[in-house]
Amino acid sequence: MTRRELMKTIAAAPLAGRLIMAEKTPAMPVSVASCPSYDGDLTGTLATMFDQLGGLGRVVKNKTVTIKVNLTGSPGLKFRGKPLGLTHYTHPKMAAATAYLLERSGARRVRFVESAWATAGPLEEYLLDSGWSLHTLFSASKIVEFENTNALGKGKRYSRFQVPGGGHIYPAFDLNHAYEDTDVFMSMAKLKNHATCGVTLSMKNCFGNTPASIYGDDAGEHEPNENPSQGRAAVCHEGKRQPAKSAPSELDPNSSRDPGYRMPRIVADLNAARPVDIALIDGIETIAGGEGPWIRGLRPVKPGVIIAGFNAVNTDTVATSVMGYDPRADKGKAPFTNCDNTLKLAEAMGLGSTDLSRIEVRGSRIADVQFKFSA
Amino acid sequence: MRCEQRGPRRYPKYMLPLLLIVAAIPDWVPARWHSADVKSLQLLNETPINCLLLERTEWSAGFAKAAKERGIATLGVVRPGADALEQARKPTTLGLDGVVLEGDFESSVVKALQDSKIPTIELPSRAGMRFSDTSTLVYGSHQGLWPGIQVEENGSAKSAPSGAPWIDTNTGFLRFVRAATDKPVWIANVPPANMVIPVQRYIQAIGDAAITGSHWVLALDGDFNKRLLAREPGALADWKRIGGALSFYESHKEWRSMHPHGQLALIQDADSGALLSGSVLDMIAVKNAPVQPVPTAKLKVEAMKDAKMAVDVDPQALSPAQKDVLKAFTRAGGTLLSAPPGWTFPMPKDGSITVAKDDFKKLDEIWKEVNGMVGHTNLGARLFNVSSMLSTLVAPAEGKQVVLQLVNYSDFPVESITAHVLGTYKHARLYVPGAEPKDLAVYEVEGGTGVDIDKLDVIGSIILE
Repeated sequence: MTRRELMKTIAAAPLAGRLIMAEKTPAMPVSVASCPSYDGDLTGTLATMFDQLGGLGRVVKNKTVTIKVNLTGSPGLKFRGKPLGLTHYTHPKMAAATAYLLERSGARRVRFVESAWATAGPLEEYLLDSGWSLHTLFSASKIVEFENTNALGKGKRYSRFQVPGGGHIYPAFDLNHAYEDTDVFMSMAKLKNHATCGVTLSMKNCFGNTPASIYGDDAGEHEPNENPSQGRAAVCHEGKRQPAKSAPSELDPNSSRDPGYRMPRIVADLNAARPVDIALIDGIETIAGGEGPWIRGLRPVKPGVIIAGFNAVNTDTVATSVMGYDPRADKGKAPFTNCDNTLKLAEAMGLGSTDLSRIEVRGSRIADVQFKFSA
Repeated sequence: MRCEQRGPRRYPKYMLPLLLIVAAIPDWVPARWHSADVKSLQLLNETPINCLLLERTEWSAGFAKAAKERGIATLGVVRPGADALEQARKPTTLGLDGVVLEGDFESSVVKALQDSKIPTIELPSRAGMRFSDTSTLVYGSHQGLWPGIQVEENGSAKSAPSGAPWIDTNTGFLRFVRAATDKPVWIANVPPANMVIPVQRYIQAIGDAAITGSHWVLALDGDFNKRLLAREPGALADWKRIGGALSFYESHKEWRSMHPHGQLALIQDADSGALLSGSVLDMIAVKNAPVQPVPTAKLKVEAMKDAKMAVDVDPQALSPAQKDVLKAFTRAGGTLLSAPPGWTFPMPKDGSITVAKDDFKKLDEIWKEVNGMVGHTNLGARLFNVSSMLSTLVAPAEGKQVVLQLVNYSDFPVESITAHVLGTYKHARLYVPGAEPKDLAVYEVEGGTGVDIDKLDVIGSIILE
């Protein structure tokens, strides 16, 4: 049974059945590594981690690998003037080391994607504006390419991803073709808090899969706006308006408009619709207290850790624990102080287990690398 | 045929100093100086400062004499008032080299001083600048923004709609003035009061003017000045950095005489907002797109020869001949964006040097069009990861060299900057104050040459050859 088939079965099952099946949700090994700096042997560390998970080659050989990086917010907004990769963005060295390993493991093509903030311009330029050296990246791997998924991009049509079981907020999402035209989907996330969702890890990173052309505040009413220039607060976070009518509308426009209700559900739905095959979380240097410099009370932190796995829920569960939180905490308890727990929502959809006792942690022990994100 | 033998040209006695001064002015590095103590001149030893603007309380024959012996010019600052002319005549009687009229004076005062052959530098309001007066020694103004990133009350950077921090700069104004005249250009704004000013902010102010080929008249805040005159070690260390920044630009005077290089021309004039900060030139500058300002009076075929795109802010101001120039430009394949019919630049009514907040919307109408036209096009150079920086691209009239001048307005160094410069260049070298020039690796990019800079503190320039 494939993961998608399993999810469909779970979603279709009655509640009692779901609870039983939740215990059968995937629980795959997660690798944890101590890595104090981006300047050390990052490639070697990542190679060891993927070996601990059974090797990259078996997953990526002769495959197209699409890597969703986390470049949230405008690259012009820096926290205390620090390079973006040291705070809230995926670090370019993490990207280069991964691309190198993927090529070495036989991947046919590595495509970096992100829905670049407020633009449909080439992702290459956005990356340069984010302090990436494409020159260096191409030196690390000759098979890389880029796609800005904030609009139609290089595709001719949007790809529709149905949410197995019908979804919480949206029944399906229209996304850039890159999320469909791939064999392997990797979420390359940052270990950090999120003001609305508590934590933003490999699953929350996928909120950025949604194109602002359809889900943005300046999306067309009927058709996508191929020149989006705004974020997605009105459509997704607050539900003040619907996405472009070319995409499926909300299931229940009368449901709660509280972002703490909506966002965890949208994230869970997105992960069910387009599951993550490889989750890689960069916690070497990051921020605590929020997801970007527009959040007050941030502080730069150096947890010095990397977490990877082949199941996003399992990987995020371990990552949440590394951050010093209970991954199964209910709403009202940190980090899910004002929101529902995305991990548990995803678990209930059959995406993966949040039960640490079922997840084998390989490499470093959680206790040895734990870094408390709460001040 | 009778051959007339000519000896050395003779001048009336009183004219010689004036001519010498006029010849020296382009090399003046001006600073406001708040001391009449001769010993304070020692502080200038390791700086290129060679022209001091002195307030009335500091006019002193002894100080002027000592300064002159060190090759330093002194100018007395006079402000408008009933006895302005009388005051303006005093400095030279004390041995100072001339007078600075700071503010808007009656034209009779200026004329009387000119008639008396007293070297006079006018630093009026921006609106009071008289571009038609060719006898002006220096074009400039005392009005300016204190360069830097706007900071909100809670300490975070103020963001423009683009999400990038908004940079307060005088570069747009200065670029226009430089394009309008061949004379030296000064801006003589002073630091904001009641504010702790870190040394990098002074270097930003120096760079803000220097990358346009102009001089900021150095002015220290009161506290810094006091500590400097008292030779406090911290103040001396900061002073050394300021001197280093000034020396950096003085050791590359040739950059000042180079011309803006790029394929975008902006046709604008004082009446259509060119003297304002935050105007169209500054908006383009924030995108780090190279632009050649073309004052309406200078709109000729020659001015448009390197341009492939042009923005005309005030089409109604053009003469028939100038309209023909733009017709020829578009017929030759150039792209012209003109302000819509009936659109007029929202000039401030209160003498302000920035566009009023209420008028941003009106300016935004034309800005959206400009932004759409410039888009992702490389018009000479494209810079990346430079949201806290401004730049100018200049080139000599002859030769295959371009100079990319950079200023970082953030309080933090910027890392991982990329520049894509149109054209093929084999060598690139980074110059920063206080360090040996550093060769940068060049690589091919679409239509040009790419270079990466690991880190830039406040100011620096890349020479590509």
